[in-house]
Amino acid sequence: MGLDLDLAYIIRVLPLLLKGAVTTVELAVLAIIFGTLIGLVIALAKIAPYPLLNILGRIYTWVFRGIPLLVQLIFIYYALPAVGIEFTSFQAAVIGMSLCGGAYIAEIIRSGILSIDKGQMEAALSLGMTYAQAMRRVIIPQTYRRLIPPMGNEFISLTKDTALVSSIAMTELLRQAQLRAAADFKPMEMYFAAAVLYLVLTTFFTLVFSKLESKLALID
Amino acid sequence: MIHVSDLDKSFGQLHVLNNISLDIAPGEVIVIIGPSGSGKSTLLRCLNYLEVPDSGSIAIDGEILTLHTQDITRIRSKIGMVFQRFNLFPHMTVLENVIEGPLTVKKTARAEAVKKGEALLEKVGLADKRAARPSQLSGGQQQRVAIARALAMEPAIMLFDEPTSALDPELVGEVLVVMKALAKEGMTMVVVTHEMGFAREVADRVLFIDEGQILEEGSPEEFFRAPKNERAQAFLSKIL
Ligand SMILES: Nc1ncnc2c1ncn2[C@@H]1O[C@H](COP(=O)(O)OP(=O)(O)OP(=O)(O)O)[C@@H](O)[C@H]1O
Ligand SMILES: [Mg+2]
Repeated sequence: MGLDLDLAYIIRVLPLLLKGAVTTVELAVLAIIFGTLIGLVIALAKIAPYPLLNILGRIYTWVFRGIPLLVQLIFIYYALPAVGIEFTSFQAAVIGMSLCGGAYIAEIIRSGILSIDKGQMEAALSLGMTYAQAMRRVIIPQTYRRLIPPMGNEFISLTKDTALVSSIAMTELLRQAQLRAAADFKPMEMYFAAAVLYLVLTTFFTLVFSKLESKLALID
Repeated sequence: MIHVSDLDKSFGQLHVLNNISLDIAPGEVIVIIGPSGSGKSTLLRCLNYLEVPDSGSIAIDGEILTLHTQDITRIRSKIGMVFQRFNLFPHMTVLENVIEGPLTVKKTARAEAVKKGEALLEKVGLADKRAARPSQLSGGQQQRVAIARALAMEPAIMLFDEPTSALDPELVGEVLVVMKALAKEGMTMVVVTHEMGFAREVADRVLFIDEGQILEEGSPEEFFRAPKNERAQAFLSKIL
């Protein structure tokens, strides 16, 4: 038996899948934005000259990298209401993905900062800058270009990880496909189309990031 | 102006500074020489608390250095430092490097900082490089920008840690010229260097350091003519 796809059916449900794909991208974009903010804070905590902050940073990474994202999502959406904290599935998805993404992004930012020559911090401090000023004005701006490739990878990982939020009733791309596949008895068509759409998204973002990288390489 | 007493510093088992005491008067130019690993950089870095001593004290203008952030940043802003490897900020232009301190630390208005920054670049002979990136400059030019960057804070003291050691021989002169001019203006300077010509010509006092101790100090005439300490003699005979 060959691959016998009902193309007309796929085309008919495509708008629905595209709607799911838009939600997927929305989720990934929000998660990378909030994840970056969280990651920056955690990275700074981990390298700050304060042991207490270092420990807090390490605990964060330990928890959010050590627990599977799927478990985190389910916990936020299904367990937290038991203590009176309720989120819509979209909110829960963004929170879960940002918290988890933040743990990985923290490592990316941390190693970016550590890759900057120590003399830079010393030069900044010797001018009379505070540690915070030195970070903001001298160290962090030098990491931007080095961060583009790993952040691009992280964004693509997050895009793929959005598939997990289908488990908390979030109708993104995979969930749309599941619902239609069950209703229309067309699993092959629906999941094939969903898989292709994911591939289109990740390929598109890969291209965007490598463009961005070579653009930035030209500037300096 | 600088008063150092009983300074001690170890890195783990390594005793790098051993009971160093030192007084530096305003306008004095001190040259520190000594073998590699003897603690010259560490001593210099203690003077602006980039390195925190284990014991002993350092007073700048009568104010004892502590780790208190506000105090230490204020004191550091009065002490310029020039590094062997320049440490210019690569993401900024030459002029931006020079005005960064005044803008961020002193909150100087931009127009004023630019005016002063341009004057300083003029002074170190690099007015035409204001828009260049550090990576586009020669080592000698980078070091002169680094001096201008330090001077932009209008420091009372300048520390130099082997400012010409990373330079090709033909670029050493242009940096020394700037340093000599600075000394002539009456800047208080502490210079770690192997440039004995500079020490002879400019230093008020030469310190010889080995194994974390000041083994000999004196005027350049005394020091170069007849060092009393054996290790200083041996060191001099090797480098002269
Ligand atoms: N942060 C550090 N951690 C551990 N050891 C250090 C550190 N900084 C310096 N040292 C060691 O302390 C000793 C003195 O170093 P210092 O840089 O003060 O010497 P120096 O006289 O400036 O030598 P050089 O002429 O090579 O620059 C050296 O053995 C060096 O390896
Ligand atoms: Mg040194």
